[in-house]
Amino acid sequence: MNSLFTPALLLLQGGLFDNMRQGIEHPDLSKFLIIGALLFTIGVAGVLTRRNIIVIFMSIELILNAANLNFIAFSRYLQETGHANAVAGQVFTVFIIVVAAAEAAIGLGLVIALYRNRETIFVDKIDLLKW
Amino acid sequence: MVLSGWESVFFWVFALAALVAGLLTVMARNAVHSALFLISALVSVAALFVLLGAEFIAGVQILVYVGGVMVLFLFVIMLVNVSAEERGSEELFNRPGQTAAAVCFVALLVLGLFYAINQSAGRFVPDPDAPAASRRDTDERGLRQAETRVSKISEDTQRVGASLYRFGALPFEIASVLLLVAIVGSVLLARTSKQELAHDDVDPSRIPELSAAGELTPAEIEAASRAKAFEV
Repeated sequence: MNSLFTPALLLLQGGLFDNMRQGIEHPDLSKFLIIGALLFTIGVAGVLTRRNIIVIFMSIELILNAANLNFIAFSRYLQETGHANAVAGQVFTVFIIVVAAAEAAIGLGLVIALYRNRETIFVDKIDLLKW
Repeated sequence: MVLSGWESVFFWVFALAALVAGLLTVMARNAVHSALFLISALVSVAALFVLLGAEFIAGVQILVYVGGVMVLFLFVIMLVNVSAEERGSEELFNRPGQTAAAVCFVALLVLGLFYAINQSAGRFVPDPDAPAASRRDTDERGLRQAETRVSKISEDTQRVGASLYRFGALPFEIASVLLLVAIVGSVLLARTSKQELAHDDVDPSRIPELSAAGELTPAEIEAASRAKAFEV
């Protein structure tokens, strides 16, 4: 099922193409989780490497969206297994979106205040507390 | 949960679009381009939500993120207007050592996550002995048809609303307080010191003169000097 992501191992076993084709034609929950993990790591890379604080905020939004994708995928999975409160994942996602909106508003207010005081939005120039 | 047919085609299209747009968000030199790529990533993720049967969340994602948060981002980018990065006179990323360390860390993160997902993937495969019609299929058969007779009306929104108010009423109220705090906080952070002065504030340069004439009470003098401290 996950042959796409462990190709070297499965080449030895043979039947690689059948497995791969199955995985591509019928994506299951783990494919959604992998997309979520990749989006999350792209966001982490953005937070760790960029200097522009606005782009860092956008990377944080990307991270939160990866979490939302996982929540929704698990919610659908639980709906099919007949779990009692399967839409709880969607409710969580609503709250995550609310918190992300609040975070963006406060963060961008901080950016404007910072730019007014320091004339820069590069995180390595904001080093007042560094000795 | 296994997609098939056109659903899987759309899954791969939107998943790849989300990943490419996410990468371009992080790599773009111009912050406005970053914001536009982030919008396309968010729309692709919303399309994945629709594939997963969460139409309400997809709509909220488009309305709140693309319509609200990203417009706020674009406004702030226009206000701050850093063109040094676009002209290429400023470095895009941190120092090379930091960037290399961050990329190594991210590679480790990807490996760890893939390992964990592969380990647990067997549990998500549907049971072959289970009856073919899942609960979702039977649910979908019972749905009302739309007026045009081409689609069925999903009751996703109804279920989310019921679950939200039944199990999440208190968090819902707390979220409204959080949004109020965010509004007040961002107004407080973004206003200038000029806007903080009230119309009856005393000009700080005239304090000695006025207090000598005995026109000010001590409380007024204190308030005026506080306003002066804000201005610095």
